[in-house]
Amino acid sequence: MESTTNNIGSERLPRLLAIDDSELIHKILRVRLQHEQLELHSAMSGADGLRLAKELRPEIILLDIELGDMEGFAVLQALKADAETRDIAVIFISAFSEPVDRVRGLDLGAVDFITKPFEVIELTARVRSILRLQSAMNMLAVKAQIDGLTGLWNRKYFDSRLESEFAESKRHGRPLSLIMADIDKFKSLNDGYGHPFGDLVLERFAKLLSSGRVSDVPCRYGGEEFGIIVPSGTVEEAREVADRLRERLANERWPRHEDLRVTASFGVADISCIESSMLPRAMVEAADRALYAAKHGGRNRVETAPPIVTAPLRKSA
Amino acid sequence: MHGQQPASGDAAKGTSLRSEFADDPDMREIVEFFVNDLSTRIDAIRAAFDTDDRSRLKTLAHQLKGAAGGYGFPTIGFAAADVERELIAAEADIAAIDDKVDELLRLCRAALAPRS
Repeated sequence: MESTTNNIGSERLPRLLAIDDSELIHKILRVRLQHEQLELHSAMSGADGLRLAKELRPEIILLDIELGDMEGFAVLQALKADAETRDIAVIFISAFSEPVDRVRGLDLGAVDFITKPFEVIELTARVRSILRLQSAMNMLAVKAQIDGLTGLWNRKYFDSRLESEFAESKRHGRPLSLIMADIDKFKSLNDGYGHPFGDLVLERFAKLLSSGRVSDVPCRYGGEEFGIIVPSGTVEEAREVADRLRERLANERWPRHEDLRVTASFGVADISCIESSMLPRAMVEAADRALYAAKHGGRNRVETAPPIVTAPLRKSA
Repeated sequence: MHGQQPASGDAAKGTSLRSEFADDPDMREIVEFFVNDLSTRIDAIRAAFDTDDRSRLKTLAHQLKGAAGGYGFPTIGFAAADVERELIAAEADIAAIDDKVDELLRLCRAALAPRS
């Protein structure tokens, strides 16, 4: 899951890649699948098929068992061995109709098997059924990472996203910042105004968080604590983001409680705040320490974790 | 409109062979392509047979087995499957499958024959 927002929108047509060394088969598929909501691509060899699979990331691959340059089974194994293509649904097509081939294909991870010549209604029905299953699975995968109340990414997503951004940042030597935010005196808001009001505060704050820059990744960390990953952001940029959010929340007007002011405290850390050998977890801890400093400093403020000053380690010559 | 006899019935009588999809507007164009392509394939099958090129013959039969039915010529597909099966099964010399190859070629030519 590499998207920066949790919108399931911006959908393209599902892609189907047919890998078969016979142009006769590609021609039939183009005609027989022309009325489906699909983008159809063709590859004439196993090598071409593997290249296109990585490039296009199709939803479905129709794979011939007997290809000129390599066996379809080998293509399937290569697809399954590569993390980028592993999840593509592969349907074997073959004029072989031996059960042993079908079993071998399914054992290697193919989702289905179609025998040539194609029965048109069978072909389209199988393709449709796989697309339906895939879209349901994608929706579940996204849903499992979304917080039900606020619609923000949840803690599970936060952890995995921070880890991947952390790795990217190290690999490319680019900045990465993290903001931890906590609503001030949330417990007394809940106690004093009721839980529905507490929920309203969380929802509104979440809305503020997601109205920021699209590259930022706001997540509900748990309870009234939120984490905003700022990929490629310096600590100064993250600090500005946090301060804008702080100000907007403090200016928010609340229904039936005109005079009430709800505030939050923010802690900011960037990758230079932790030792280079440390794990992403250490960034959360650094931002959390800054957050507690903000709380102790009187709340409704932003604090920054101090960068670690280390002399470069050099072996003396 | 032509008669609605099944294609295999025509073939059995040695008359011309008509695609099951000849009247399917989606398919008409590619069926024509397939039929035009068949004459090249007939030559290739003949040549492979005459030069005793078993693997070439097997490939050609295999391709027809997979595709012919899709173009509305299932009998060609079955005949091609017969040739392929014999080639896989029999280590014997290629001449032994003479009749199977002949049958395949006969059906292919029937598909080429001008339809009256």
